[in-house]
Amino acid sequence: MDPSEVEFLAEKEMVTIIPNFSLDKVYLIGGDLGPFNPGLPVDVPVWLAINLKQRQKCRIVPPDWMDVEKLEEIREQERKVGMFTPMPSPYYMELTKLLLNHASDNIPKADEIRTLVKDTWDTRIAKLRLSADSFVSQQEAHAKLDNLTLMEINTIRQLFLESLNHMYKLRTNMQPGKDSAKSQDF
Amino acid sequence: VSVMSDVLSEASEGSGDDSQELMTPAELIEKLEEAWLNEKFSPELLENKSEIVECVMEQLTHMEENLQRVKKGDLKASIHRMEIDRIRYVLSSYLRSRLQKIEKYFPHVLKKEKSRADGDPSYLSPEEFAFAKEYMANTETYLKNVALRHMPPNLQTVDFAKCVPEPSLDSFVFLRVKVQQENILVEPETDDQSEYAVDLEVGSQHLMRYRTIAPLVSNGAVQLI
Repeated sequence: MDPSEVEFLAEKEMVTIIPNFSLDKVYLIGGDLGPFNPGLPVDVPVWLAINLKQRQKCRIVPPDWMDVEKLEEIREQERKVGMFTPMPSPYYMELTKLLLNHASDNIPKADEIRTLVKDTWDTRIAKLRLSADSFVSQQEAHAKLDNLTLMEINTIRQLFLESLNHMYKLRTNMQPGKDSAKSQDF
Repeated sequence: VSVMSDVLSEASEGSGDDSQELMTPAELIEKLEEAWLNEKFSPELLENKSEIVECVMEQLTHMEENLQRVKKGDLKASIHRMEIDRIRYVLSSYLRSRLQKIEKYFPHVLKKEKSRADGDPSYLSPEEFAFAKEYMANTETYLKNVALRHMPPNLQTVDFAKCVPEPSLDSFVFLRVKVQQENILVEPETDDQSEYAVDLEVGSQHLMRYRTIAPLVSNGAVQLI
């Protein structure tokens, strides 16, 4: 899956905005939004929030977790334990990137937040590589992946799954009698 | 614009015919997205979801018709257009990934479709079925024209079922559990390991072979991710 598609999914998450315009309720296929009144907070999907922000029609309220203290705690926790800790949002990385790129003026301490999230991400990806490595070397058949986010899974998906497939092919072809004659592309 | 909202809210209620009548448009879109991800990540072609595709198309057409009556530059209309674009993207990506699999596995897809019992749900939509048959015929003609007719007589036929690789059901997939499952048997990878059972709890995520959980994908108990 292309990372932009994971980001596309993240854009469905809801975020609070403070609009500077008025508009009646909007009846979208995916659900109702609004009504919008100047100065009154309202929840909209991220794709709309960013679009309105680009048109200077709103201010974005960062999600609760997008806060230096909370993120420091999350980073420490992630470094302390061996397992993957639960993240504040299943799209924490994408949302951080989207909101910081498009609305950094609405987010206090944007640079620190960017660094903290990146640190947490790096720690998690390092763990993920280790787990993938041991999954392969132990020849496991099943792994539980709780708390991993889609973007994290996506970073290893292609290489990892392809490698497993290739190793499986090599292994089964070595055993005599198992459909060795096929697998010929044309 | 207020007229438009009336028409649009009507649209939200009106279009669920037949079996989909209990689904709201929002649920319909969710179903489409689930089908999209499942199709993207499953190694084989899944059952077609023509009903969902048709309902979504209907919603989109209806919404687009309404939007034509609204003047350009209207804020509300632009929000609707953005949503339509997003839904259309998912819909075409879904259909495209099915076509890619049909092209890749056409002999097997056709065989499966032809050998299915009368009552069973069909894997291909009528349009996809036509596409697959045509693709097979064209490939055959092409191979004949460029190569086969220049071969010695005993080498002039080609058995597609043998020379086109089958989807590899032993591929690993990532999944999230939607309905609790107990005692799913995990086959060992090597001879010195033994078979064991795992429970799949709601919300948990797993990495395992597609073959093990294929039925759970088609009945919606797990979502591929």
